[in-house]
This record gives sequence, C-alpha cells and structure tokens, in this order.
Amino acid sequence: MRQVFIAGAGMHPFGKHPPHVTFEKMGATAVSKALADAGALPRDCEALYVGHVFGGPVAGQRIAARVGLSGIPISNHENYCASSATALREAWIAVGAGLYDVVVVAGIEKMSDRIKGGVRPDPDDLDAALGFIFAAGHALSARRYMHDHGATREQIAAVVVKNHAHSVYNPYAQHQTEVSLDQVLNARPIADPLGLLDCSPISDGAAAVVVASATGLRKLKIRSAPELRTCALVSGTYQRGDVDVNIEDISHRAGVMAYEGAGLGPDDIDFVEMHDCFSIAEIVRLEGLGFLPRGQGARLTAEGYTSIGGPRPVNPSGGLLSRGHPVGATGAAQVCELYWQLRGRAGGRQIDGARTGLAYCKGGSVTGTDGASVTAVVMVA
Amino acid sequence: MSATPATESFRPDVFRAHPPALFGSACTACGKVAFPPRSACPDCGAGEDLQATRELSAKGTVYSFTEVHQAPPGLPVPFLLSYVTLDSDNIRLIARLEGFEPPGPVIGTPVRLAAAFIDGEDVSQLKFAFRPQ
Repeated sequence: MRQVFIAGAGMHPFGKHPPHVTFEKMGATAVSKALADAGALPRDCEALYVGHVFGGPVAGQRIAARVGLSGIPISNHENYCASSATALREAWIAVGAGLYDVVVVAGIEKMSDRIKGGVRPDPDDLDAALGFIFAAGHALSARRYMHDHGATREQIAAVVVKNHAHSVYNPYAQHQTEVSLDQVLNARPIADPLGLLDCSPISDGAAAVVVASATGLRKLKIRSAPELRTCALVSGTYQRGDVDVNIEDISHRAGVMAYEGAGLGPDDIDFVEMHDCFSIAEIVRLEGLGFLPRGQGARLTAEGYTSIGGPRPVNPSGGLLSRGHPVGATGAAQVCELYWQLRGRAGGRQIDGARTGLAYCKGGSVTGTDGASVTAVVMVA
Repeated sequence: MSATPATESFRPDVFRAHPPALFGSACTACGKVAFPPRSACPDCGAGEDLQATRELSAKGTVYSFTEVHQAPPGLPVPFLLSYVTLDSDNIRLIARLEGFEPPGPVIGTPVRLAAAFIDGEDVSQLKFAFRPQ
C-alpha cells in the first residue's frame, strides 16, 4: 500500500433543514467545500465514493451532476451508520493500491422529511419484527451496564453534558448549546433509562473529504497533509447466551485491526471521534477499543477524563449527540473533525498538540450478533 | 407439529404459536445450538445439510429490559422489550415482555414463552413474548 493522505475537508452544517435544502444540495455543498479546501478542481478528481442510507438510488451521481464530477467512476455505499466511513475505506484501498491519486469521499443524509420516531433495522430482521429500535437496544445495554458495574444514571448522562459542552465551539453542529445534568435526567423518556437527550437527534447534513496519494498532493501543490494511516472494517459475529452484551467484541476486533494497520496502540491515540449515537454507546465502545478500562468508562467520563482538557478527549466535535447524526454522513463528518484537529484548525474546540486521532463508527444490527459494521479510522498529523 | 395452521405465527420457521415454541438450529457436527436458525453453524461452519431444527427451552430469565416510550409509526407504545437468556442451549434473544404489573420486571426475573398479539390493533399475526413464570 502507498501512503494515503487527507488533502481537504468540507461540511454542510448538520441540523433539521427545510425541504428546499435537499439531499443533493447538501452533498454538493460539502463536496465543493472539500475541493476548495484542497485547492482541487473537479477535473483533478478521478473517482467519487458516496455513503448514505436513506438517499435513494444513484445518490452520488445526483450530487456529482451538480458539482462537475460527472463521467468519473461513482459508487454508492450502504453500511447503515458506518456508510461513509465504509466509502472512505474503499477510497483508501484504491488510492493506496495505486489506482487513483485524487478522489473524493462524501457522506450525505436527509432524515427530517423521511424518518419519524427513530431508526431501526430492516423490517425483515427478526428483532425489528418484535419492536426492536436502536434506542431500545442501547437502553438494554445501559441497564445491564449499571447492574454489572455499579455505574449510575448520572455518570452515563455525563456523556451528554460533555459532548454538548464541546459542540458549543463547532459551527457545523446541530446543537451548539450546553445542557445541564438535570436537563438530561429530566428529559422525556424514550427507552428507560435513556431519555431524549441520551439519543442522537434526527438530522440532515453532509460531509466530504479529498483523499490523495503523495503524487496527488504534489498535483494539488499541497506540501504536507495528515496521513490516513488505516481504515479498519469488521462485521458482527454470533453471540452466545453467556456473553456479556457490553463486552463489545466487535469494537475490540475493529480496534485490533486499526492498531495493527496503523502501527500504533490505544495509548498512542491523542483523541477519539466516537459513535455516541446514544450516551451509553460512547462508554462501552471506548472500553471495547481499549481506550478506557472495562466497567470504568462511565465513572471516568463523569470525572472529566474524556473532556477537552482531560487526559483522553473524546468527541471534541460534540459527537453524534450534539453535532447531530445524519446517519450516512456521520463517518465523513468524523474524518473532517480529525483533519481539522490535526491541522490545528478546530477553533475553540482545538485539542492542544493533537497528533493522532481515531474515528469509530458502528452501523446497524443483525439478530443474534453483536452488530453489523464497525469502522475504525486512524489519522496521523 | 400442532394441527393449528402455521400461518398464525408471524414466522413459522422460528416460532410455533400453539403450543408456543421457539426453534433454533442444532449443528449435528459440533452440537452447538443457534437462534434464529442458521444455514451454517456460526461455531464450526458446518453447512445447511448438517443443521437440524431444535425446539428451544420455553423458560428463561430476564437479562435486561427497557420500557419503550417512543417508536416509529405502527408500533404502539409503551411496551417492554428485553433480553431473555434461555435456561438451556446457551441462547439469549430479544423479546417482548407481557403480563407484568407495576413495578415491572427486574434483572433475573424468571419468564416463560407465550404467544401474543404485540402489534396493537393488528391481530393478524401471533408473535412471541415472555410472561412471568
């Protein structure tokens, strides 16, 4: 594999946008901004990789037609909430293999006009037929985590307070306001013990990055750029009845693949963009990755260990809980945040001296397994 | 098999309504049981011709539970969803809990399999749920 770099990043703000802010318009904005950030013209781009879930047929081609990227190879990738991280992996493989020197990866989702009451697995999945929705799955995880580790509801809610505090400084975030612990604890119940603020919102938005080889950087006249060191991807496996549902073997395996691919260990990672689709998810997934000790994540979060300014900052962007979670766009948005942090361009949420970042996505569920898709991206300044 | 038409179950391959029973796949190569039934053993990889249908234990315990208060259209709320660990075959599954009075279940509550109309007004399909033993 050749070295692969991120040459530019761009986002359309996340939020609940009116109907005229279409899927195509958001995607075109993010792609255009990423190209401009990289100093690239459409004719410099050799392929477009798009991640989305609810965007309909040929989503990438609909965006490409608006931004002058028509004619090149375009592929659309669906891995639920890991969709655009999966698209990034395909781009990383192709550029690393020497097939292309400059490509674009975009993640886009328009949810506010087509998703009501929360997301769930495909209706043919057995769990979905019984009423499984993702909020319920994470509530089951939270109750068991509290039972097994003596964690408190307040400690789990601390994830929400922290991530909202971070996103005050993120102009692309859906929520840019702090919330108090009392607001989290007293929010309307969704699936107990989780309330409304423990759940990432339904969101619209888009994010894009330009991926380049060293040759591509020279073509774009970029002297140095963060290296996309690895893009790990694993799928879930069958879980037996005596396995702790919070053991997060799928996260552990993604972490091992990422650390081996990057030639680094969890202690070398300065900060993490974590898939906090629900508050408890941030805790158990960080533990699965080996970033926090098992059973200690809730307590450490409440103590500020994962806050900006703490020893191991997590979700400086605000995470999914506060930046918002347009599902197919989230992976690309995390990679934008890694890029901005590693370039020292993250403004009021900048982590001092950030050299190495990891972005984690988990997408979907399959009955009887510990998940569908997990990605772990490592980027080095 | 029951004389009752299998069409009463929402998924006859995994659930029989009368009397209630869940079906897994038992691998005749390694002996492990999986739910829902698989075309290949998730443990040893043995193929479909080596997977036999197995009726699972109708008893188990609540491993975790949640009361769901918000769901997409078509799913009446509130309802109780749980992980139930079956008494045999090393199986844990997602299932509704039915028939619990306040204050509701706790982790470790013993439960037994039942057939239930869990889709509110829709009584066209019997699905599985667990009730207090």
